[in-house]
Amino acid sequence: MTTPAVTTRVNGVEVSHAWIARRRWSYAALLYTILVFFAIMFMGPLLMAALSSLKADPLEYPPRLAFEEVAPRNWAAAWSLGAQGSGNPWNGGLVAGRSVSYSASYLIPDGVLASGANPEILAVNIPRLRPGAGALALGNFVYAADYAKIEDLKLVKTEAARLKDGKSAQRVVYEWKVVYPQDAKNADDPSKPAPRIDRTPMTLEAPRGYLFESSTLSPSRLENVQAATTEFPYSYPKIQSFINAVPGFANYAFRNYFRIFDEARSQTTGQALFMRWILNTFLLVIVVTISTLIFASMAGYAMARLEFFGKAALFLLVLFVMTVPNQVLFISNYLVLRDLGLLNSFIGVWLVLPFIGAGQVFFMKQFFETLPKELEEAAKIDGATPFQTFWKVILPLATPALGALTILTAQGTWNQYFWALIVLTSPQDNFTLPIGLNSFNRLYGPAGDYGLILAGAIVSAIPVIILFSVFQRYFVASAATSGGKE
Amino acid sequence: MNTKTRENLTAFWFLLPFLVALAVFFAFAFARTVGFSFTNYNLFNKNDFVGLDNFVKLPQDPLFINALTNTFVFSFVVTIMQTIGALLLAVVLNQKLAGLGFFRTAYYFPSIASSAVTTLIFIWLFRPTGLLAYLGATLGNYAGFILAFLGIAILVQVAQVLFERSRNLPATWYDPALLLVSLIAAFILTNVLAGVGIVQIGNAEAEPLVWLSSRDKWLGFIPYPLLAIIVMNTFTTIPTLMLTFLAGLQGISHSVYEAASIDGANPIQQMLYITIPMLRPVTFYVVTVSLIGTLQMFDQAAMLDGTAPLEGTITLAYYVYNNVFRGGAEAQVGLASAAALILAALTLLVVQIQRKFFVSDEGAGR
Repeated sequence: MTTPAVTTRVNGVEVSHAWIARRRWSYAALLYTILVFFAIMFMGPLLMAALSSLKADPLEYPPRLAFEEVAPRNWAAAWSLGAQGSGNPWNGGLVAGRSVSYSASYLIPDGVLASGANPEILAVNIPRLRPGAGALALGNFVYAADYAKIEDLKLVKTEAARLKDGKSAQRVVYEWKVVYPQDAKNADDPSKPAPRIDRTPMTLEAPRGYLFESSTLSPSRLENVQAATTEFPYSYPKIQSFINAVPGFANYAFRNYFRIFDEARSQTTGQALFMRWILNTFLLVIVVTISTLIFASMAGYAMARLEFFGKAALFLLVLFVMTVPNQVLFISNYLVLRDLGLLNSFIGVWLVLPFIGAGQVFFMKQFFETLPKELEEAAKIDGATPFQTFWKVILPLATPALGALTILTAQGTWNQYFWALIVLTSPQDNFTLPIGLNSFNRLYGPAGDYGLILAGAIVSAIPVIILFSVFQRYFVASAATSGGKE
Repeated sequence: MNTKTRENLTAFWFLLPFLVALAVFFAFAFARTVGFSFTNYNLFNKNDFVGLDNFVKLPQDPLFINALTNTFVFSFVVTIMQTIGALLLAVVLNQKLAGLGFFRTAYYFPSIASSAVTTLIFIWLFRPTGLLAYLGATLGNYAGFILAFLGIAILVQVAQVLFERSRNLPATWYDPALLLVSLIAAFILTNVLAGVGIVQIGNAEAEPLVWLSSRDKWLGFIPYPLLAIIVMNTFTTIPTLMLTFLAGLQGISHSVYEAASIDGANPIQQMLYITIPMLRPVTFYVVTVSLIGTLQMFDQAAMLDGTAPLEGTITLAYYVYNNVFRGGAEAQVGLASAAALILAALTLLVVQIQRKFFVSDEGAGR
């Protein structure tokens, strides 16, 4: 027995329920596609920046999504090199008495070698390079070139192979060791023990026409060195360079993140700046948030519940303050701080910041007005002073509002740019993260060293991202009611 | 002490920290800025009364005119773009679908990071051979492919709708089920055409993207560096405004839409004749909030100073700062104060308009 088709009328035409269901599903499918497209668009820049911050050169063109630093093969190699070089597979490095073994393979297209000739040997060097491009890179480096040596460099294998385009070629495999001799003397002061080498740069230079295939760890860069060749096979000698031939896993995969903490150093104390900036900003967030909570809830309570002379005028003033641009106020505030000797100080930023929160006072006032009045009246009858009522009765009830205020103030302070820029100019030790990042941009941007800039940006975004993920609903609720004004 | 005095006193203690801050960092500061605007103060010793000199000098300063036009252009373009963008996104998000919470979070992402972080990331994106240049080149290379795809999709859709109608089924031109089939068919067909070489995929290298260092103007009135900030700012502010719209949309009863669709209104008509009129108060609020925010744009202009030519990014807010901290040159606090007051006046004007209309709208609507 067959059931009759279930139908509905749409615009005067009988259609089956299946017809309608098909449309509903398709509609949802199309909608999800659009939603995913927008999600990619909105999260794209930050995610791409996060991914590219792992690259040795985030400016590479064309940009790749899969690059050496995210290849598991290289992670494993970095891990094992670190273990060989210093016994520390995470951070790598080379210590006296240890050595790491390396190999690399090249393809020699037929015709490059004269018939009957043997393949030449590879040139492997440890160049004397200063780490980092920025002016902030100061201090005493240990140059790997002073201590480490290349030993046992030999051609270990020759076999027939094919190029990508199918032409026949010869594969040659070289092996060598990067050795830090046990008896090495400290180059600066022979009485001291030989230092640990954090970074061991290395370059491979193959004879002309040899095509690089692979090596234990992928090189950081393949450089074409221009050389005039007018004879067949018209190719240039190529150099494969390693920023650090003995990295550990973490040091390899997150190199730029190690750099932001290592390279930027204070000109006065030599202390690492980025950590200072993070601590400064955290401290500022804590102090500003607490002071904002105290004075916004007190003032908000008074304006919501207490009767006093000039109440209406004060309310209008608060509304007015909320609309006056900071640019009108900073000149005098700068001068006040200058006269008090508080420029470039933590206290200077702290003093001006909570004040920007006339909006916070307004927010608390609006909240207190929603609480029932009976509570205070009951407390008053029990003989509580206004302050006791506020502290013991009102504030415990205000936890949701105080929570929202905490989150938003913390985010705003963490991201605060304008006032910090006015108050903090030097020394760099006192900067907050946004100002520090700006100085990164000025120092490393012209050199094109965007790895450091992006890593710094990502690190300073992480706390607010965590804050947002945990307390999402506060953000959403406040944005929905207050709009976009910061 | 009578009750009234006591209550006054209590309130005073509660308000004390706020009042002190208000007096020092607001009232005093505001008064001083007004005062400075009539002097030639330079942060150190010079401080003579010069009357309205600064206000006369301002319009004669090409940099000020530059900053003012940039501010207006920026404010108008960004407000229009982000209002439309936020509204569209909110409409898309205002559906009854599973997993919308995830998308709402994802869309809110650009708003949470600091202006410093987003500006740095955008400077990187806008590098001459950066990601945007690459995307532009890729899009250009695929232009033929995309055109072919759209053309085929439209043809297939028309054919399908006509076929359905010939079978007396009530298919509309944008019927979702048919559209899905058309898009999939178009994708397969275009790939086949590309495979046999009828549709060509280009192989052009990226043109260097020089927006940040350019001194030219787009369409003759938007400096390219400012255009980059416009893109960035629209991107980071849309999410917050979207949430405001979303709250407004959720206030519109579903029955209104049902009634309209029974009367045969298509989604576009529903958008034009129901959503937009009913969201009028919210839209007004969003527009004014956006105007106020964009008039005071500072962070991005400050961060780009040095990367981009000053005249391409300077806004009123940055003009004020730039005249006080001039990196070696003598500060022109008087001029800066006068400009700051003009900025404040512009902001207040928008706020006044907002108060006037927003309040009356609410009164009429509810």
